[in-house]
Amino acid sequence: MVNDRGQLYTMEGVAAGVIMLLTAYIVVSTTSVYTAGDTHIPDMQLEQLGSDVLAMMDTPDRDGKESQLVGFVKMGTGGGNDLRDAFLNNSRMRAGDPDNDLHAQVFLSYRRSDGSVNTTELSPPSDPGFTGRENAVRVTRWVQLDGNPSGIPGLGYSPRPRAVLVEVLLWRA
Amino acid sequence: MSLDFLVGFTIFMLALIMVVSMVPGLLVGLQSSGIDYDAVAYRTGVILAEDPGWPVYPPWEMKTDAYKDEIERMGLAASKETPNILLSTKVDAFFNSFFTADDYRSKAIFGDIPYSYNFSLRSEDYNYATGDPLPPGYGYIRRAVKIKEPGVANISYNSSFNETTLDPSEPRVFTVRLDFSQLLDPSVGPAYRIDPRTEPVNITITEFGRYLNATASAENATLRDVTFWKMDPTVPMPRFTRIPFSYNTEDPDLYTLSLDGNSSDLKPNAPVNSSISLVLKPVATSIFTLDQNSVLDIRFTFDDGVPQRTFMNGTYLYDYDNVTIADLKPAVLEVAIW
Repeated sequence: MVNDRGQLYTMEGVAAGVIMLLTAYIVVSTTSVYTAGDTHIPDMQLEQLGSDVLAMMDTPDRDGKESQLVGFVKMGTGGGNDLRDAFLNNSRMRAGDPDNDLHAQVFLSYRRSDGSVNTTELSPPSDPGFTGRENAVRVTRWVQLDGNPSGIPGLGYSPRPRAVLVEVLLWRA
Repeated sequence: MSLDFLVGFTIFMLALIMVVSMVPGLLVGLQSSGIDYDAVAYRTGVILAEDPGWPVYPPWEMKTDAYKDEIERMGLAASKETPNILLSTKVDAFFNSFFTADDYRSKAIFGDIPYSYNFSLRSEDYNYATGDPLPPGYGYIRRAVKIKEPGVANISYNSSFNETTLDPSEPRVFTVRLDFSQLLDPSVGPAYRIDPRTEPVNITITEFGRYLNATASAENATLRDVTFWKMDPTVPMPRFTRIPFSYNTEDPDLYTLSLDGNSSDLKPNAPVNSSISLVLKPVATSIFTLDQNSVLDIRFTFDDGVPQRTFMNGTYLYDYDNVTIADLKPAVLEVAIW
């Protein structure tokens, strides 16, 4: 029972279908979703670099010698920015000009005599641009100490080998 | 069921199928070539910084141009236990040699497609680079490393080697002894080990003039030859045997000998008055077929007849107490791939 109305409906259906197709095509082709897959690459590169630098600073230059990192940690808060400066010097080194965009902040975590874990900033004063909201990566390394370095406050146990956690926040700015 | 509905529904289904098939395109960011390059650069960086390469013994860096096909992987690490500690001999071989772009691709990058690359190593003492200039959009990784350099035996004047009471006609023999069981002792970490199988043996005798026979007013003494002897202490009645070697042929790939700054073969029979320097390359040590129990003697024989013109005699132990071992040098290894 085909008549003019049926043809009209069919044409309407076809037109609606074409419009749907066009709309779908336009929407899909103009939308780009910024996936997390794109952001992790620079983060991974920074994390690898920071982790390498900490590992190399914790490797003694000579058999039986103290590593550079242990030396800095022993100085504790008294060492000022030495640890951060040495870390950044190693991180910024590359072929050509140094990578001066890198910034870092160093923290030290350890167990105090009262059993609590204390986290202290090891590189005061803070980086002038440090707000705590940087898109920073965090690299850590356990450092072994032989005794109780005087530079670390509240480390009141009897002198014995112990491990403390060095944590570095590394970001580009 | 009307024909309109069938046609409309068919078009709707077609549209739905098209939309569904477009969804993977939303994630196209995950497949961008930049990420692919970063991944290849990362993988290559790991191979170079954390792997000693293959073969290990004799190490790949000893292969000459003719045998480079035997190299399967070019890693720069001193050993698999010491990631990021690079061996200077491997670094020299990697950057300063006969490798072509295809060699780097097949032995370090391992890509299915012919990637372009740029490798560089930078420190206070090292400035190496190989590859093409960097275009925009390359994949990149930077690794902080340390470089292990070979030890050097600096032998200056030492009265215990100045044996004035020997028979005046007896040739003087100064021996440098390498006891492999001591050198390769596992208690010394691979990052600090003296391993003549992978690193050159450097012997530098300075102040030779002070060993000369002053009573005979000697101004120099004749170095007759330098010979290599080995002993295996694990066999019954061990004794030193002379190692057959092309002593008469100067070959910088095997050794370099310098007398007062002039290069020579191992049978110089020439006068020397101030310094002797011998560098024995690992390629030579591998020819000697030494194992971890062997003892290698390097004997410098001085002979001028009667009276002898030098008193230098005795045995110098090439070990951890006497050899100057350089500090590990911080450096940065960069890999760019595109």
